[in-house]
Amino acid sequence: MDYAAIHWIGFVELDLEYHERVMISVKEFQYLPDEHECEKASNSYLMSLIAIMGGFPLPIINLIATSVFFVANRKGTGFVKWHCTQALLSQLFILPLNSFGFWWTVSIIFGDKHISSNYIAYFLTVFILNLTEFVGTIYTAIATRKGKHVEWWFFGELTNLIFRSI
Amino acid sequence: MRKLLVELLVLVFCIGALWLLMSKINWMSVFRVEKATQNTEVKIGEMFWNMMKSSEKEINTPAILLPLDSILDQICSKNKIDRATIKFHLLHKEDINAFSLPDNHLVVFSGLVNECENESELAGVLCHELAHLKKKHIMNKLVKEFGLSILISASAGNGSSGTIREALKQLSSSAYDRKLESEADMTAVEYLMNAEIDPEPFANFLYRLSDKDKNLPTQLQWISNHPDSKDRAGKIIKSFRNRKIIKTPILGESNWKLLKKHLSDME
Repeated sequence: MDYAAIHWIGFVELDLEYHERVMISVKEFQYLPDEHECEKASNSYLMSLIAIMGGFPLPIINLIATSVFFVANRKGTGFVKWHCTQALLSQLFILPLNSFGFWWTVSIIFGDKHISSNYIAYFLTVFILNLTEFVGTIYTAIATRKGKHVEWWFFGELTNLIFRSI
Repeated sequence: MRKLLVELLVLVFCIGALWLLMSKINWMSVFRVEKATQNTEVKIGEMFWNMMKSSEKEINTPAILLPLDSILDQICSKNKIDRATIKFHLLHKEDINAFSLPDNHLVVFSGLVNECENESELAGVLCHELAHLKKKHIMNKLVKEFGLSILISASAGNGSSGTIREALKQLSSSAYDRKLESEADMTAVEYLMNAEIDPEPFANFLYRLSDKDKNLPTQLQWISNHPDSKDRAGKIIKSFRNRKIIKTPILGESNWKLLKKHLSDME
């Protein structure tokens, strides 16, 4: 293995570690979830993954998918409900950003708006956000499947607040 | 709760900062968007003009072209429009029509010049078409009606002549949507005021032709393609009602009459 490859792997490891410490943190849940719960909670992120893929070009898919999560798992166990809510909240956060980008694109194609540096900058920003969420979702889906309780920056805290108030 | 708010603020700040940083980069030149668009426009404009030229007779008589150039020069110089970029063409055709083509081609039929009663009326029509050019209405309309892929393919020489002819017909014989027409009218008024030309004759021209429209429906293309002309004339009058208008003649009465005489001699 050459120096560049070793350096790259090192960078990826450092990056994931950084994500784990700052953006995503693994914490202890109130109880130890069983195998079936872990699978269900992980599936909520997999559904979220599909929503990101479809929702980037067509934000209505985000809305439909997140609503499906919520309705389907409202009677699940605490661990499942917690992770479904975190996935739902993250999707709801990205929805207006994607929708704005979507209608901006529509007005360029069909309306009288012109393509500009600002539009490209917004498009790339939204793309980076979607990509970050995509990577985070894959990581969380794998970790949740192993029984780890993963809390995201802001969304984890917000989910805790919602669950505390119920 | 405090932690939640701090995290939200940090998240929003990070997204905002990312967008702000991204906005500092001139992506249009990074992706060469402007150059690619300009190249396509130049090719399409050339293609349309060549097609037009092959079927119509262009007037190149200096005694007719020079006075028209003077009007256009005055409008361009007073509105900071680079005159060298405007490709003005006068075609020998009795139809009352004027239109713009991609890549700043401005086409006027002799029938329209004949119909104008004074230089201000003609200047109004020229300003309206210049506004369509400067506001990029032409390429927008083409992209909307035909799609960018067809236009790029046509500009590369792969388009069918039927499609090109249809696109040319669309540009020369149909109006833009109401919003764009209104924008072109209001911009035309600004151009006229800046060039010290009275905008009222432009409104009068629209009003007069909308009445004539009932008798001569086929020849009055410019007006029949621009619906609600009376309405538009009213809006134009309203836009400069309380403003001070400076009127400086460009050709003057005698030169305008001479121009019309040269044109009628050609008939």
